[in-house]
Amino acid sequence: MKKVSKTVLNRVEGEIELKLIWENGIIKDAFIIAPNFRGFEFILRGKPTLDALVITPRVCGICGHAHLLATTSALENLYKEAGYSLQTTQKAKLIRKITLSSEIVQNHIRWFYLFVFPDLLKLTNEESLFDYTPIKGSKWRKAVDYSSKIVKVIALFGGQWPHTSYSIPGGVMCDPTTTEVMEAISTVDSLIEFTEKEIIGMGLEEYLSIKNPDAYLEKSNGDLSVFFKTVQKHNLDKKGKAYKRFLTVCNLYPVISKGTTKKKKCPFDIKKVREIKDFSFLSKKRTGKEYSWATAVRYNRLPYETGPLARRVNNKDKLFLNLLSTYGDTYFSRIWARVDEIVKFLFFMKRWLEELDIKEPSYIRPPVDIREIEGKSYGVIEAARGSLIHFIETKEGKIKEYSIITPSAWNLGTRCKKYHSPAEKAIIGLDNPLFAEMVLRSFDVCSVCTTH
Amino acid sequence: MKTLLWLQGLTCNGNTQSILNAENPSFYELFSKIELLYHPSLSVDNNLMEIVEKIESNKINLTFLVVEGSITNDKKFHNVGGFSIGEIVGRVVHKADYIIAVGNCASFGNIPALYKENPDIKGLQFTFKEKNGFLPPDFLSKKEYPVINITGCPIHPAWFTHTLMALYYEKPVLLDSFNRPKEVYMYLTHDGCIRNEYFEWKEEIEEFGHKEGCLFYNLGCKGPITHAPCNKILWNRVSSKTRAGMPCLGCTEFDFPLNENFFETKKNMGIPEKVPIGVSKRAYITITGIAKTLKNERTSKKLEETD
Repeated sequence: MKKVSKTVLNRVEGEIELKLIWENGIIKDAFIIAPNFRGFEFILRGKPTLDALVITPRVCGICGHAHLLATTSALENLYKEAGYSLQTTQKAKLIRKITLSSEIVQNHIRWFYLFVFPDLLKLTNEESLFDYTPIKGSKWRKAVDYSSKIVKVIALFGGQWPHTSYSIPGGVMCDPTTTEVMEAISTVDSLIEFTEKEIIGMGLEEYLSIKNPDAYLEKSNGDLSVFFKTVQKHNLDKKGKAYKRFLTVCNLYPVISKGTTKKKKCPFDIKKVREIKDFSFLSKKRTGKEYSWATAVRYNRLPYETGPLARRVNNKDKLFLNLLSTYGDTYFSRIWARVDEIVKFLFFMKRWLEELDIKEPSYIRPPVDIREIEGKSYGVIEAARGSLIHFIETKEGKIKEYSIITPSAWNLGTRCKKYHSPAEKAIIGLDNPLFAEMVLRSFDVCSVCTTH
Repeated sequence: MKTLLWLQGLTCNGNTQSILNAENPSFYELFSKIELLYHPSLSVDNNLMEIVEKIESNKINLTFLVVEGSITNDKKFHNVGGFSIGEIVGRVVHKADYIIAVGNCASFGNIPALYKENPDIKGLQFTFKEKNGFLPPDFLSKKEYPVINITGCPIHPAWFTHTLMALYYEKPVLLDSFNRPKEVYMYLTHDGCIRNEYFEWKEEIEEFGHKEGCLFYNLGCKGPITHAPCNKILWNRVSSKTRAGMPCLGCTEFDFPLNENFFETKKNMGIPEKVPIGVSKRAYITITGIAKTLKNERTSKKLEETD
């Protein structure tokens, strides 16, 4: 018996509709529908080049900072393409790394406790999980407190979060004193304590030395461990497999190294990226098969998963290579990778803050006004959900074309003629609508970015 | 218990993210007092339309209707389970005691309203400057308020939470000409900026990356012409854009996305095209002319080198 079900998914960024085609109790096909569209790429056309720094962060309320840095990178590359050398100090680079990391840590904490954990409350009514109840639960509340605390670091350097535009070609706008740096270090310290006590249930260094996933689960009573023990009880640990192909577009040494992994790791080549609109409402030819405002993104003609799990694999982290061989690219591994990044980013943020030399200039004015540059370039950044690419073309001081490929377009965009998107693929074959939602949420759904 | 329904139109979710950062009251402290009927990002159950039906049939009393994001009736561009945001708002709008637009999108249409393929994008009661939003200009909610606009891209959480608390305690909320709470938006971003000394002595700065110098003269800062208490109630309770070194973008005003060249000050004959609110051009030229002829030892040095 064939049956179609449609659900508007909540607890994601924005709104997503999940259409499932069932046959004999099994999901035969899945359509991830992004039904809302704002038209940022069209709105950017004709705007003065530098104004992209103000407009693109507003694509997304949760990863807007990554959009700012992608624009900065695209504009800095525009200078380079035109033959100008742009100096950016180590200080400016470190501050950008620190603020980007803050946003990612914020995102992962909110996503884990506010978007993902409540699924377990639907799965089971064990009393031990009541602390994770939205609004009332003490764990939920702590997650709100600490995710709000870490973005204070962005505010210290960038003035506010969400939606600062403090990073520009040539550096950053701030000129911090030791006071701000010390407040940032103290904030990170406080987050580290929260992470050790609540999330991982052990010291940061001890956690970072772990290579065997099961050894960790046995040893820890942290929220991560509670989560996975519950998931294992419901046999969800091996569900939600996608293509086992991973893409990362940008380095953030030593947490992220770029590359693509199919069977083995290869260098990333931007020329192999293609956006396909056949199943998107953005398609120029109407075939009746369009079902989402999202597009499909392919690398070397194939769908790739991007995001924390991809980053962990491309970074060759032992724990994750082991996770992958035991559990595969599943719900389990995907969620662990996101939580794992909280630990790694906090660990290195502290180092970067200590390394910061405030005597260096924050900003070195580029050799010419950006309005004098005509040409094409692109910028890449790793956002909370994965690889973000901005393409820009400028003419007569204005933006001629702007194209944004978001992490969510990689993961939960539409299908192409040959392949489902990684998230659609991961849902097909499941036998329970709640599991389908859970697997989808493991990609950290951001519909506002998916369609922009 | 008083209730609140949170709806989202065309949005980036930034106001929701900002409100999660709230302190005194925090998000959860606020919603221990007020029942949150539904929020798309935070609710556990997918039951928005059930709640809407209960509100329509008076089974649930709706105290606060909160809308984030621009409004459109066109289902092609916004669709939640078969309904556009316009349709959903339309179903509950007459039932709410108070209606609050959070952010510039819900207030004025903002960036999404620049998208030409969809001409039907509005704020709740305004579209940019004009009072021709989704609801009629004379619309009043059950407690006889127009849509209360908490403007900003994004809003500061306290601007929303404190207004909501005032309504909760049935304190009168005075509104300005854009229906924003007067006590929030009567301040200018300029008020309380730590660069004010440089503004007073017209100590200009030519480039970014310095804690000294005023950003108004060359770098596009809209602090003196923007209604927002960004330097009274600090962002994330620690700083503000102008404190950090970034020009104010004027994001609480209706014309925020209509402006261009945000990082330079538009000038005529060396005088900023827009002078601070409350000051005539002549008064501005006189006072800056005098300030320029005098020297303040302090503002002409790096802060570390001052006495």
